[in-house]
Amino acid sequence: MRIRLVLPLLLVFVTAASAQEYLNCHLVPGWQQSGTKREYTADNLYEYMDGNAESYLLYGFVRMQGITCTYGEKKLVIDVSEMEDSDLAYGMFASNRDPNQPIAKIAMGGQVQPRRASFAKGKYYVEIAASPEGDHTAALQAFATKIEASLEGRSTPPEALDWFPKENQTSVRLVPESVLGLRQLKRGYVAKYAQGQAFIVLEASPESAAETFKKVQARFPDASPAKFADEAFQAKTQYLDSICIFRKGRYVAGYANLPDPQEAVTRATKLATRIP
Amino acid sequence: MTYDTSRRGFLSAGLALPLVGLTSKVGLFQSGNPPTNTNSPVQLDYRTLGKTGLKVTTLGFGCMITSDPSVITRAADLGINYFDTARVYQHGNNEKMVGAALKGKRKQIVLSTKTPSGDKETALKDLDTSLQELGTDYVDIWYLHGKDSPDQVNDDLIEAQQIAKKQGKIRFAGVSTHKGQKELLPWLAQKGVFDVVLVAYNFTMDSGMEQAVEAAAKGNLGVVGMKVMAGGFRSLKQGDPNFEKLHREGALLSALKWTLKNPNVSTTIPSMTDMDQLEENLKAMAQPFGNVDGKLLATKLEMISPLYCRLCGECEGTCANGLPIQDTLRFLTYAEGYGQFALGREHFQELPVAQKTVRCEDCDACTVNCRHGVQVFARMSRAQELFA
Repeated sequence: MRIRLVLPLLLVFVTAASAQEYLNCHLVPGWQQSGTKREYTADNLYEYMDGNAESYLLYGFVRMQGITCTYGEKKLVIDVSEMEDSDLAYGMFASNRDPNQPIAKIAMGGQVQPRRASFAKGKYYVEIAASPEGDHTAALQAFATKIEASLEGRSTPPEALDWFPKENQTSVRLVPESVLGLRQLKRGYVAKYAQGQAFIVLEASPESAAETFKKVQARFPDASPAKFADEAFQAKTQYLDSICIFRKGRYVAGYANLPDPQEAVTRATKLATRIP
Repeated sequence: MTYDTSRRGFLSAGLALPLVGLTSKVGLFQSGNPPTNTNSPVQLDYRTLGKTGLKVTTLGFGCMITSDPSVITRAADLGINYFDTARVYQHGNNEKMVGAALKGKRKQIVLSTKTPSGDKETALKDLDTSLQELGTDYVDIWYLHGKDSPDQVNDDLIEAQQIAKKQGKIRFAGVSTHKGQKELLPWLAQKGVFDVVLVAYNFTMDSGMEQAVEAAAKGNLGVVGMKVMAGGFRSLKQGDPNFEKLHREGALLSALKWTLKNPNVSTTIPSMTDMDQLEENLKAMAQPFGNVDGKLLATKLEMISPLYCRLCGECEGTCANGLPIQDTLRFLTYAEGYGQFALGREHFQELPVAQKTVRCEDCDACTVNCRHGVQVFARMSRAQELFA
């Protein structure tokens, strides 16, 4: 019992130590801290951002620490959210990024705009907001670089993103629950294309993946089997148009929202070959 | 704790897009009967949304966390006709998704969005961006997002709504609120310039909130209920015994039905992420709140009350030893509710020595009485046992 208590305690002390490094206005010369450090957990994040807190909780929000830095009239609000794991941190970034702007090479992925910077590194999702109106890119970039260097954790995007074909891809993100609006597909990556969308759900084992596949297939009574991967089916549906879903090992994946059923099978078959 | 207004600025920063052109707008059965030819498996229940005259289904759709547009599209096909999003949800990505999901259905639905901005200029800029992302030339209701007191609803923002109305970009003006509602709702009703309020309203709240909602309705404001499932549900993690109990079949539906039993609430906007949830929530329109629901929610409250502090702050200053009850119980929630023992202990240890060395068991009787039923003595003792 004592070990169970001490271990998490040590982990938080380590976290708290690193927090001192990345939550520091002096990371960039000339900036001063304004006010005290902010700290929120899942039960009081609403106090900070009202209903928008729910989208953080959806992505496995654990805690947020933040500070406000000033330089004359310029102000930066820096918030560092700790999520349950790096996939969820990346998912938080991907769902909140500006889809009209490219992803910059900051840790797992980031964006720096005139008044806003955000990136994910390891299990951390970092947001920096600048005011007043104007171009704050230089300051945002400087802080993003320093904070990124102070944080530990994964710096490369989740490998599953590479499995999606890049041609005509418009976006890719982590859906934290109910992929394709189906409760059975609990959490997975979804890539949108000029036409249709692909998804990859990772299960704990081939057995649990088979169970999930079975439940999903049961949602489509008119489905017909397809012959690739470990098991697969295709169906024409009212809300997801033509779909083709397969299981390969512990992955359940496929395509949806394609007008042509055969196209769904062709694309899903190709996706299956890209999944190891 | 006050809301950092710069946070709102952050949420809206970086997404400004060019203005969009504006043309005509079409009303949604502002008078007369709503459509009957839907695919809903249940009888749809409609109420009038205050002075707007809009007939809305009592089950609306909060789109904020919906993962796939197909769920929203299906909801519209089933006859749900009120859909809510906001400029800040997923930094505008949510509006884009909602717009795509409801493409071709604009005339049959009531669409609302919100601006977090604190001034006229940026609010109107937000609205133009929202219209572009939603793929429409007007929204039915445009809310000032997350206002907690009358001073946050300033004349500048009211003017923005009036301008938007004149320009035909919005049909009705609204305010959304999560806190300070007992003061704010009567004020909004008296102000006379608003049409709709979006309020946090659920079974865990006291009768004071019911009176506030009634004041809004008497002022002819349309009342839309949110957080109807009591937001804490989602923050409970799988594995927590309360999670299992609160998520078992029927519990969330009962919470939804509780909100709808108040005739002053015109519609509700529970978040829905999948088809199963949508189908489950539809039942709220067909099955009125009954004794079984009442018992179920009473059980929930009973289960929650002894353990979970609602942070209402009413007990502050009532401990004979000057202990910060609310803070200490929050630290305990970190440890027991979210598995963050170290975080709870860290906070507890930051208390002044005179407070963290007190032991409740040394008192003859506890002077703190929580009206929500939290067992303060037992919980404080537990915190001291764990953290001291």
